[in-house]
Amino acid sequence: MPLLTTALLTIAASPPQEAQPTADELAFFEAKIRPVLVERCYECHSTESGRIRGGLAVDSREGLLVGGDTGPAIVPGSTARSLLWEAITYEGYEMPPEGPLADDVVEDFRRWIEMGAPDPRAPEVELVRSEVTPEDIEAGRDFWSFRRPESAAPPAVKDERWARGDIDLFVLARLEENGMRPADDAPPEELLRRITFDLTGLPPTEAEQESFLKSWRRDADAAIAEVVEALLASPRFGERWGRHWLDVARYAESSGKELNATYPHAWRYRDYVIDSFNADKPYDRFLREQIAGDLLPAATDEEWAEGLVATGFLALGTKGLIEDDGRQFRADLVDEQIDVTTRAVLGISVACARCHDHKFEPIPQSDYYALAGIFGSTSTYFGTLDTLQNRQATSLLQLPVDDPNPFDRSYTRYEIEEMEAELQRANGTFRDALGSRREMRRGDGDGMTMSPDDSGDDRLNVARLSIETAILRGRLASVDSTGRPLSFCMGVQDDESPNDARLLVRGEVDQPGQEVPRGFVQVLEDPEHPTAIPADASGRLELADWLTSADNPLTARVFVNRVWLHLFGQGIVRSPEDFGSTGIAPTHPELLDQLALRFVDSGWSVKTLVRELMLSRVYRLDTKHDERDFRKDPENELCWRANPRRLDGEALRDAMLQASGELDLDRPRASTVARGGQLTLGRLALNALDLDAPATHRSVYLPIVRDYVPRSLDVFDFAEPTSVVGQRDATSTANQALYLMNSEFVIDQADAMARRLMDEARGRRARVERAFVLAYGRPAESGEIQRGLTFLREFEREGDPSERHALSALCQALFASAEFRFLD
Amino acid sequence: MQGQPFLSRRLLLRGASAGFAGLALSGLGGLSARSRAQDALAPKAPHFEPRAKRVIFLCMRGAPSHVDTFDYKPELVRDDGKSGRYGSGRLLASPWEFRQRGESGLWISDLFPNVGEHADELCLLRGMHCDQPNHPQALTQMHTGTFQFVRPSLGSWVLYGLGTENESVPGFLSINPPTGSTQNYGSAFLPAVYQGTKLNPGRQRRSFRRRRQPDVVPDIRNPRLSDAQQRAQLDFVQRLNEDKLKRDRKHPGVEGAIDSLELAYRMQSSMPSLMDLSGESDETLAMYGVDVDETDTFGRQCLLARRLVEAGVRFVEITHGNWDHHFRMSTDLPERAREVDLPIAGLLTDLKRRGLLRDTLVVWGGEFGRTPHAPGGNGRDHNHRGYTTWMAGGGVHGGFSYGATDEHGYEAVEGKVHIHDWHATILHLLGLDHESLTYPYAGRDFRLTDVHGRVVRDVLA
Repeated sequence: MPLLTTALLTIAASPPQEAQPTADELAFFEAKIRPVLVERCYECHSTESGRIRGGLAVDSREGLLVGGDTGPAIVPGSTARSLLWEAITYEGYEMPPEGPLADDVVEDFRRWIEMGAPDPRAPEVELVRSEVTPEDIEAGRDFWSFRRPESAAPPAVKDERWARGDIDLFVLARLEENGMRPADDAPPEELLRRITFDLTGLPPTEAEQESFLKSWRRDADAAIAEVVEALLASPRFGERWGRHWLDVARYAESSGKELNATYPHAWRYRDYVIDSFNADKPYDRFLREQIAGDLLPAATDEEWAEGLVATGFLALGTKGLIEDDGRQFRADLVDEQIDVTTRAVLGISVACARCHDHKFEPIPQSDYYALAGIFGSTSTYFGTLDTLQNRQATSLLQLPVDDPNPFDRSYTRYEIEEMEAELQRANGTFRDALGSRREMRRGDGDGMTMSPDDSGDDRLNVARLSIETAILRGRLASVDSTGRPLSFCMGVQDDESPNDARLLVRGEVDQPGQEVPRGFVQVLEDPEHPTAIPADASGRLELADWLTSADNPLTARVFVNRVWLHLFGQGIVRSPEDFGSTGIAPTHPELLDQLALRFVDSGWSVKTLVRELMLSRVYRLDTKHDERDFRKDPENELCWRANPRRLDGEALRDAMLQASGELDLDRPRASTVARGGQLTLGRLALNALDLDAPATHRSVYLPIVRDYVPRSLDVFDFAEPTSVVGQRDATSTANQALYLMNSEFVIDQADAMARRLMDEARGRRARVERAFVLAYGRPAESGEIQRGLTFLREFEREGDPSERHALSALCQALFASAEFRFLD
Repeated sequence: MQGQPFLSRRLLLRGASAGFAGLALSGLGGLSARSRAQDALAPKAPHFEPRAKRVIFLCMRGAPSHVDTFDYKPELVRDDGKSGRYGSGRLLASPWEFRQRGESGLWISDLFPNVGEHADELCLLRGMHCDQPNHPQALTQMHTGTFQFVRPSLGSWVLYGLGTENESVPGFLSINPPTGSTQNYGSAFLPAVYQGTKLNPGRQRRSFRRRRQPDVVPDIRNPRLSDAQQRAQLDFVQRLNEDKLKRDRKHPGVEGAIDSLELAYRMQSSMPSLMDLSGESDETLAMYGVDVDETDTFGRQCLLARRLVEAGVRFVEITHGNWDHHFRMSTDLPERAREVDLPIAGLLTDLKRRGLLRDTLVVWGGEFGRTPHAPGGNGRDHNHRGYTTWMAGGGVHGGFSYGATDEHGYEAVEGKVHIHDWHATILHLLGLDHESLTYPYAGRDFRLTDVHGRVVRDVLA
């Protein structure tokens, strides 16, 4: 198995049971050991001090046995295997850092460890009793979204001729009940623009416009079906719909938080998502891969690699890498995985039950820890530059295929030897620097004088060396022994020995309560058919199966609702992230159920679902405002018209590139972040990466670094990549206006479009006409052409006689105008 | 239209018929995009004589502990370490000393020594409560009155009610709002001219920023066009936009695009100089803690807030984050407090010196408070049942404390002030009657306080 699985150590949660210590042994502990621990170790390693350096707390027997990030501190009876022994004898670790313990004290510790490390200090183990009773859970199963979807026959309507399918019947029936009529169909140009943006995130080309209008005149239904079919088959479809999923998956290429270390391999997950939508991969399969792709049977290495890349879903969340306490870090990592999985797939938040029973749902705290056992028995590989500041870096998963990061270079044997030698030298200097820093600290403690400059230099030195050695280590790990680059991805692996998690009282890592068997969310389970998790498996595969079972009441509903809201502007459930009791009930519950059932029946085919929604009559409605209908239903809950929508940042940027003729449809290899390799994002690294560098490829391939989202997306309400986002905001703000009026990118595109107009059309009038066609996807009205011509004259009169500049200003005006920015 | 005595012509028309296009089509208006937006933002007379004309809202996101800052609880000291009767975890006396400050003798802890110097200006509301203890929901309720629906934020209501004194600057600015919180400065169904504009000064990491380098709004200047050319360009855009609006009859998004373009155009001439702190004296900078690591960011933002209200901005909000101290409170809470204490004191001093404090309402608070018990040993849990916010200037009773929590600070027991009451009181100070400040939407007159709200008259000076 060509997998690198070196990084995380899983720790046996329950200490071995042994004979009770004798009174003499305890007396020895009290007299010789406890005072030393209290005096010399507690400051950095106890709950009381609030500092758990290296994840190690020495203020309880359990703390010592479980140990810190690098393993158990004490193995009773064995000094050789006890890291604490190593540390106090200054072999490897050097503890306490301010100077070794006296020889006779060290000798006491040896005796103590050999007698089995007797220690009466037990942390209080609380048994947390849930206030959520089995009856509450049973009753909770009656909530609409926790019940299985039910099939209902489409209702009868008066105007049967209007409907094209069942969707229309469900919608029309409610309109008729309320004495309302659906709006007219949208005009064909508008409809084509809507269809094309919805399926591809791009405006229609001129050729598409012509051919659509031609077939529309023959048969409108057929014209729509034709263009939908063609665009579903286009690779642009995956780029659009993949991005919708990346919003949900809180995709980003860096860790965020204090260090903000880059994830130079995250792009593989991005491409995987895009490719999956293009391949119409069944949604259940898509989910199973992301949660347990490493555990699914694979026929080929390529398939295996795909499954590994998919599990990047669990690895690319936000991470506080400077966390000292390994237990806290792991608990936060697991929490993030529970949160993203339950929100993305189930539309409910189980992570609310980390510290106490869920406040609004019948989800006891133990349900959270049932899931925590699953993810806690899983190791997560996310890489990140392994510097001194980064306490939690891991290795990555090596892919079983030969497809290295295109920016990883190969090295000659000679270069490798050089780097190894260099690393050895640097390691030596690094150790010396650390040592001298320690010396100085000791001097400080003893009240000796020292120059403050020295300490500053030294600190810098240590930091610099730490980064240098980290980069060398990273380079050496990126190639095989012959110097050829290896292929890596982010992802997860099951631990060798899975364990149930202990419930943490109030979510605190040093307050373990009872063990909770691994399992799922009870209120969503069928009590008749509980799923068993084998003792030797983490349960991730079972979790994936359970989530994608046809019986799961939420998975299909939540996804169908996500698709609906991207096509109609609002969900059937208007709180797409909350299908629980604080959410908003569906406007058309029978329709939602029907769509969910049909989605599962279709083999979870996303393209089938999208096609069905787009061929409905409801999708075709005009957006026109109607005062009477508006007063009855201002939020358009009944779908009496199509919702006008604002284009998101990606669509807007891509549309400018398409109008200017600059759009490069080829997928760039990897990402700007991959080019930079492992970095932590200080100013230098940010400058070197140049995240806002001009690019003409599609927006979905722009680098997404937490806290530094490209301005072209950020200013238009990009999905905050720290959390699951099913629906973006759509504001119109002064900051957006400034971007459109003044930014380099927009001006560049306007220039390019002006050049294109000069080349492709003869005469001013023709150029203005063509500008409207390119920007709006429709012929200009005569008044508009007049306005355009007047503007050109005015502009030139204001001191710039160049036609190209005037045309550029006109193109920019079109980009900034509402018609370009909105979708009707 | 009952209850809207001061609506502008545009709003009357809009409420009555179909918004912009209705106005344009009716032939009554004939107003350009430019003047229409100005019309909606023109200063309007309040309902009655106001005490305050503008607001600076210092939003402490994460919920600062009241029992460690502004709510003195000697009984909590006495009962330190006892099992709490409020939930798991033992009662924790505040590790910080409280002392009486100013002539009024308000009890304020040592976490806010500089703000404490202004005790005689402060009006503490010690009986605050809101509906539930989750951060995002409570923060949204604090801003909009409800967490269930998308509703206009407090700043939007104020701007809608009063208009703005300076049309070149957004009338409602939100400095450093958390990402993904647009609802908290959004205008919802109110016209988009009333939404807050986000400013993110000092986004660069502090250690990398050159000292005294002015903060800038991105893309604030066009690198190529003359002002006349840009105005011509914008007029062309707006004509296209109006054509579209005519076709669509009503389209809040397009109206928002029109208004925001005008605002952006005007901001180009006003914002660079407003955000440039280089003209401020060294003494003023020092007063706000500018150029001192801990206080630099928030100090600059407070100073900017003063410059903005001075320039006529109606409502400025500054968000300061990370007050959620479940753990490590003994080290983290003092850090947060140090970041804001000196800047806030500097702001109060500066406003006072310039004669602005009289009619500028400064509001401080988080989305809720914290528990008297400490489940984490060194940290407190969320508590929406009782907490403290304060106001200063703007016609409030200074050196005064209103309301109280129980002996441990767990629950408001007297002088209770719900978020609706808090909103009603802020509007009242601005001369707005919270029951009359309504906006017709979908056949109903909506207001910030829904059907609730009580003006806390005791806090009026």
